Amino acid sequence: MAPTTTPLTFEAAIDRPQSAASTRGLTRTYGTGETRVHALVDVDLDVPAGTFTAVMGPSGSGKSTLMHCLAGLDTPTSGTVTVAGVEISGMKDNQLTVFRRDHIGFVFQAFNLLPMLTAKQNILLPLELAGRSPDADWLALVVDVLGIGDRLRHRPDEMSGGQQQRVALARGLVARPTLLFADEPTGNLDSHASAEVLGFLRRSVRELGQTVVMVTHDPDAAAYADHLVRIEDGRVASQGPVA
Amino acid sequence: MREVTLASVRVYARRYVAAVVAVTLAVAFIVTTNALTSATKAGLVADLGASFAGAEVVVTGAGSVGNAARLVDTADAAGGRAAVNALTWTSASVDGHVIADDAEIGTIASGAATGLRWQTLVDGAYPGPGEVAVDEQEATARGIAVGDTVTLGSGKDALELAVSGTVDSSTGPHGASAYVTWPDFAVVGSTGIVHDVVARGVSVDDLDAALPQRYGVQPVDDFLATAQKEMTRGVDVIAVMLLVFASIALFVSVLVIANTFTVLLAQRQRDFALLRCVGATRRQVLRAVRLEALLVGAGSATLGLLVGTLFGHGLVAAASALFPAVPVGAVELSPVWLGGGWLLGVLVTLSASLLPARRGSRVAPLAALRPDHAVVVRSRAGRGRIALAALALWVGSALLWLSITSHQLAPMLAGGFVSFVGILLLGPIVVPLAIRLVGVVLGRVAGTAGRLAVANAVRNPRRTAATTASLLVGVTLITGMVVGMATIRTNVDQEMDQQYPLDLTLTGSQVLDGGLADDVRAIAGVEAVQPVGGGTVELRGKGLDLGATTVLAPPSDVRGIVRGDHAFVHPGPDEVYLPWEAYNASGYSEGMTVAAVVDGEKTVLKARVADGIGDVAVVAPETLDGLVTSTAERALWIRVDDGADAEDVTGALAALARATDTEASGGFPDRAWVDLQLDVMLGAVVAMLAVGVVIAVVGVGSTLGLSVLERTREHALLRALGLTRRRLRFTLSAEAVLLAGVAGVLGAALGTVYAWIGVEAVVGEAIGQVSLVVPWAQVVLVAVAAAVAGLLAGVLPSRRAATVSPAAGLAAD
Repeated sequence: MAPTTTPLTFEAAIDRPQSAASTRGLTRTYGTGETRVHALVDVDLDVPAGTFTAVMGPSGSGKSTLMHCLAGLDTPTSGTVTVAGVEISGMKDNQLTVFRRDHIGFVFQAFNLLPMLTAKQNILLPLELAGRSPDADWLALVVDVLGIGDRLRHRPDEMSGGQQQRVALARGLVARPTLLFADEPTGNLDSHASAEVLGFLRRSVRELGQTVVMVTHDPDAAAYADHLVRIEDGRVASQGPVA
Repeated sequence: MREVTLASVRVYARRYVAAVVAVTLAVAFIVTTNALTSATKAGLVADLGASFAGAEVVVTGAGSVGNAARLVDTADAAGGRAAVNALTWTSASVDGHVIADDAEIGTIASGAATGLRWQTLVDGAYPGPGEVAVDEQEATARGIAVGDTVTLGSGKDALELAVSGTVDSSTGPHGASAYVTWPDFAVVGSTGIVHDVVARGVSVDDLDAALPQRYGVQPVDDFLATAQKEMTRGVDVIAVMLLVFASIALFVSVLVIANTFTVLLAQRQRDFALLRCVGATRRQVLRAVRLEALLVGAGSATLGLLVGTLFGHGLVAAASALFPAVPVGAVELSPVWLGGGWLLGVLVTLSASLLPARRGSRVAPLAALRPDHAVVVRSRAGRGRIALAALALWVGSALLWLSITSHQLAPMLAGGFVSFVGILLLGPIVVPLAIRLVGVVLGRVAGTAGRLAVANAVRNPRRTAATTASLLVGVTLITGMVVGMATIRTNVDQEMDQQYPLDLTLTGSQVLDGGLADDVRAIAGVEAVQPVGGGTVELRGKGLDLGATTVLAPPSDVRGIVRGDHAFVHPGPDEVYLPWEAYNASGYSEGMTVAAVVDGEKTVLKARVADGIGDVAVVAPETLDGLVTSTAERALWIRVDDGADAEDVTGALAALARATDTEASGGFPDRAWVDLQLDVMLGAVVAMLAVGVVIAVVGVGSTLGLSVLERTREHALLRALGLTRRRLRFTLSAEAVLLAGVAGVLGAALGTVYAWIGVEAVVGEAIGQVSLVVPWAQVVLVAVAAAVAGLLAGVLPSRRAATVSPAAGLAAD
């Protein structure tokens, strides 16, 4: 894979000064020959900084693959992915790992908290892995906004689904990533907890200035976003601000 | 349901690796034991038969050599030919140099009785009267050639014999280093022991009639049958001892298998729930799981038979190739052993899976419908378990205390087992606690990855405890053996220091050549050489006539030469130390007076006893100055490196002695032999116990591997959150080392405690007052080896864990 060329990044920065992440000609195929599957075909996408972007599409449309590529969890077959002005599509595993630590946060449908760690340990894990010390004020603010101050010493199995997802949200926010990815964050929650988590996501964009990309197939959830991308059969069907 | 079981075994075959390895090794151990003992028995029987080649009738009960002589005459008179199989020990010298203090001398049939000769000629000719045949291996080892003259015995009974040939004489009951004809034996071996008298050309009835009642007369076949039975009973005792180790391996196997099943079935809860959903009863699920265990057990037991057979044959072949002197015959595996081993393997698997199967199949159908399928295994030590552990510890300690006060073995074994079970029961509390303690350090040193390793290691206390338990058994036993053996060895060493103060000595009847000391120093393995001055003095006492004796006066400081504390190193002004042998021969006793005569001038000295000084007397330098006009270097006292090869050193010294007309002697060969016995014993026991440790380590690796499968999502998450692949591998390896290391340290501590109890209870009685000797370096080595074994066990699981893609485990399916 060719390394990034400086002019392109520079140009990108001028062209889309508000892009937190973008893809150009992003294609991802799985398997070879007969079993070849095109998960993404030639996707050009921009995620404006400081927005709450929802990626929608039916099951198998390629939205999860798109998120994995944007988050540096998966490498594109061809095309480029740029996050925070840096092209990550050509990075090696170790570079990607370090890049993720500094720029990407995650929230998952299945919460994915580590069962042997307390809520606080879970929240601080990304910082620990990066060898950074937490910003106490920021941590206090995040914990306060999410209302989990009294749960910090509890382990995941001592919390409700909504509480677990709020802890996961705090973990995603604590390192102030360039991008916070939320993959069907409300899939395992009841409607009350869903509304709560989505509310927090929107607040984190508006009040904390976080850029959030949420993958969902739930139109109600997408309604919280202010930017919408539709994926169908591995292609971008539409993208733009929510009306 | 049968299809389900078969499919499960197929799909999960790889996850059963630990159970398979455990059963295979344990069964193979049993089969190998059978192979070895059968080969040993065959070898012994063959040697026994070889020792009676040509014999038709065997007469036992002859007792003394004189009786045997009369027996031979009777047999001859009855028209037959007879030969005596007897053994004696006497000194042997070649060219005036003693090569052995107590050479084993046997008999060889000659003259009219050559048909009863059982030795086979290798070189030269069979001996006649006045000749001797030397065992071929002995001849090679001692450098004796056909044509040499060997002197057997000393004094008036000494016999000068020509070496007529070398013979192959196996290791049967009649085996010796050299063989002389019956007439010569009657001279040198008048005090020897008679095994039996063999005869041919005469019927059992005729001979029986001609002999008094007290002799046993048997056809050779009857005699051999009885003797074989006795001999194989001895081998059976060894077999039973080996089976003790096999049962330890089986016990470890039970722990490993139970743990494997527990983990495996916990992971398959969802499958079972699904089966229940589609209509399987709990019974059906339980039966399916049991059938699965049966299949695994039967398969591994069969594999164990194969491996054991191959290994047993290999070992026997290697043994007979490497040690031709060891009696090994053909391997003959008995159906009872094979069947028993196989059955044991299957039963062990079944019984070990019993509880896990019951627990694993007790799942509600509803569980299959819950969206969250992450394996949540919560296990904490229950109150019942703690109570049971306390009871076991209490009873065990009481029994151990009883064994210490009563010096009995039975309560010690029972107490050891019961208290150890108590400790294993406490494992879910103790082991995580210990891991947390170690983890504090690890977290400091290795950061997040270290802390994650600790958290992972203690998240499931019961699984952690079960994983370490198997390793704990092996490490505890090995440490116990190592410490116990070190204690015994220290006591034996002290004992040997008293018996053998001098490693080696070189004594001359004349003044020693000046360069000799340097020549001795040049011998590899010699640590220090001390020249000792002396003179020749005639020593006489009541009933004691030592004649012209070399009297030595050691310098005041012989530390680093003489082992242990000995009075003879600092003789009093009028004392003379005489070798213990001098007293034995004369009935002389310590404290009596001895006259030292030089040129007709007589000095009276008080006699003292000294062990292991050789064929000399020892006095103080001032005493010696009073006796002789001038003293000169007469002896070299030599200290040998502890690890030196006894044969090499004594061989080199003997060669030097022959060349310089001096006498080489000393206790080092005996000391080295005893040391070797202890080493071999410890080595053999540790090797046997190592089988259990290998099984345990495979168990640790397997449990970790299974845990890795459970944690795929977590690992993917950690990778997504920024843990590098290398650090993830480190986390898993650290967990393995933590588990094994804690087992190692706990085991080393426990083993030391048990060794102390064992020493107090059993050895203390036999040797007297003994104190525990802990070989710290070796004990630490055992613990470290356990940790390293853990590291190895973690290699594959950590590799597999690190290959997980950060995206893979995250999709909510």
